[in-house]
Amino acid sequence: MLMLVLVLDSKSFTYVPNLFGRISKETNRSEGSVPAMGMERVQCGYASLDETFEIGKEMYQGQQYSQIYFARLHLMRTFLYSLVPHWKPNFPVCTVLQLEEGKECVIVGTLYKHMKLKPCILDEYSKQRSVVPLVKPHNFMHPDDHLVLEDESGRVKLGGSIILPSEYVTGIVVALLGKESGAGDFLVLDVLDAGLPPQIQFPLKSRQDKYVVLVSGLSVGSSSSNPLQFQLLIDHITGHLGDEKEQSIASQIVRVVFAGNLVEIPRRFLNGQNLASKDLSRMAEPVKELDILLSQIAAGLPLDIMPGPSDPANFSLPQQSLHRCLFPGSSAYNTFRSCTNPHCFELDSVRFLGTSGQNVDDLEKYSEAKDKLEFLERTLRWRHLAPTAPNTLGCYPYTDRDPFFIERCPHVYFAGNQDKFETRVIKGSEGQLVRLICVPKFSETGVAVMLNLRDLECHALSFGTQFSS
Amino acid sequence: MASVSGNMKGFYRQRKTTATKKSSKKSPTHATSLGSNAAQTPALVSHGGKPDLEDEYKESEVALRQFDLNAVYGPCLGMTRLARWERAQRLGLNPPPEIETLLKSGKVQTQPLWDGRI
Repeated sequence: MLMLVLVLDSKSFTYVPNLFGRISKETNRSEGSVPAMGMERVQCGYASLDETFEIGKEMYQGQQYSQIYFARLHLMRTFLYSLVPHWKPNFPVCTVLQLEEGKECVIVGTLYKHMKLKPCILDEYSKQRSVVPLVKPHNFMHPDDHLVLEDESGRVKLGGSIILPSEYVTGIVVALLGKESGAGDFLVLDVLDAGLPPQIQFPLKSRQDKYVVLVSGLSVGSSSSNPLQFQLLIDHITGHLGDEKEQSIASQIVRVVFAGNLVEIPRRFLNGQNLASKDLSRMAEPVKELDILLSQIAAGLPLDIMPGPSDPANFSLPQQSLHRCLFPGSSAYNTFRSCTNPHCFELDSVRFLGTSGQNVDDLEKYSEAKDKLEFLERTLRWRHLAPTAPNTLGCYPYTDRDPFFIERCPHVYFAGNQDKFETRVIKGSEGQLVRLICVPKFSETGVAVMLNLRDLECHALSFGTQFSS
Repeated sequence: MASVSGNMKGFYRQRKTTATKKSSKKSPTHATSLGSNAAQTPALVSHGGKPDLEDEYKESEVALRQFDLNAVYGPCLGMTRLARWERAQRLGLNPPPEIETLLKSGKVQTQPLWDGRI
């Protein structure tokens, strides 16, 4: 593990932050031992694509979740219908109600996974105490789980061994080739996912190294977070740490993205009781501390913050951006940007898409994969950021669209607040290349992720405050 | 309990209070469903009088109710009929244009059949 120790230097800084939109030159060096020029931070073009995740204009009219499922089915079915002639040209397409026994055909609909162990609100009212335990397991899977395909006309249970319930969850729209068996099940012979969306080609011309730092799970205010670790991260990024070589690397960092769980408010303040004024001010301390720390970064380079499950934002996805009034110090800088979760943006035409981890964590509860990156990959191949929303993941009840549908394939796809740093590049059928990243919880691992925009290479930035033997 | 006057009829009302308000007045206090918008028309409206207008109204209302119940255009609850028509249009479902003209004419119910009742 790379260890960085704060080095106190008697020299004053030569580091000159140069931010687009704000030029401040501070030269405080006398000429002589060091080359005259201070280091300038590299610049990068930024475009935010979060408009689709903003709820400001939506109006709640008493609608239920059937509307978002309809919008999702429609959007994806239209697309899948265009793929089916190429996939299975000799088979007819029909709706669930039009199925005839023994006739092979293609049906398209939304998957529903019936799970025995999934807690159901109706269990509270059942007269007999069922076997479902009161303590929630981490994963609700059971060998008896089965899949059902549903469209507006009806639903049909899926059978066969081609489609494994352990890999799928409720809310995915797929095309299936198969036939209805005598028992009323649909025997699946082949499955078609939407596949990776089209991608604008990665800008290939040779450019300079530009780094993006991805961090998540700072959990400022929690007992597990170490303020010194975060301070080391800040000092490294802003170039206050290390020798010239170190500073030159730091000057190539163009942006920091905080992928959720920035604060953790102590549990005792959140149980709904009235708080004394003393407690109220103590409850706000983590956010104040975060503001001070973030303003150090904002003074040096652009940053994006995304809300996560433990942040003071709305619970259901898409989480809206944390309000500026929470960050009086940082929001004074134009480099400070509060974003939604999920967050989509472009840096020098490299497209990023990521969440604070709720979509991946929810998939982990209801399906299994060899690692978290596989869950990320599946969401891309299903073209949907959060298929379990609104079934088991809180979601706004949209009526006419589904903002989690991924229209354009990102170049970098990340999920925050994961247990460990993992990364992989996946390929699509049309030559798409995506860098998948699981960003670990910084408060627990001390690891941040550094990504090079030039070639999408990715490595860990690890901070420790213990001297290992 | 207050002393009961000799007139028991006043105490135990024998007549139901019928809804005499006309369809034109949208009552904001009709908040029978959670989170419903302020402007809400009662789904079943009683309108006495004028037979010719009543017929025309009913015919268009029937057509609109058919539109509401058509599963192809998705669930009808929680959206105004016009919004649902526009959504159907956007998704390429080719909803009948007569419905749009009816809805934009302004003389019909904007909310679907069961609005406020589910």
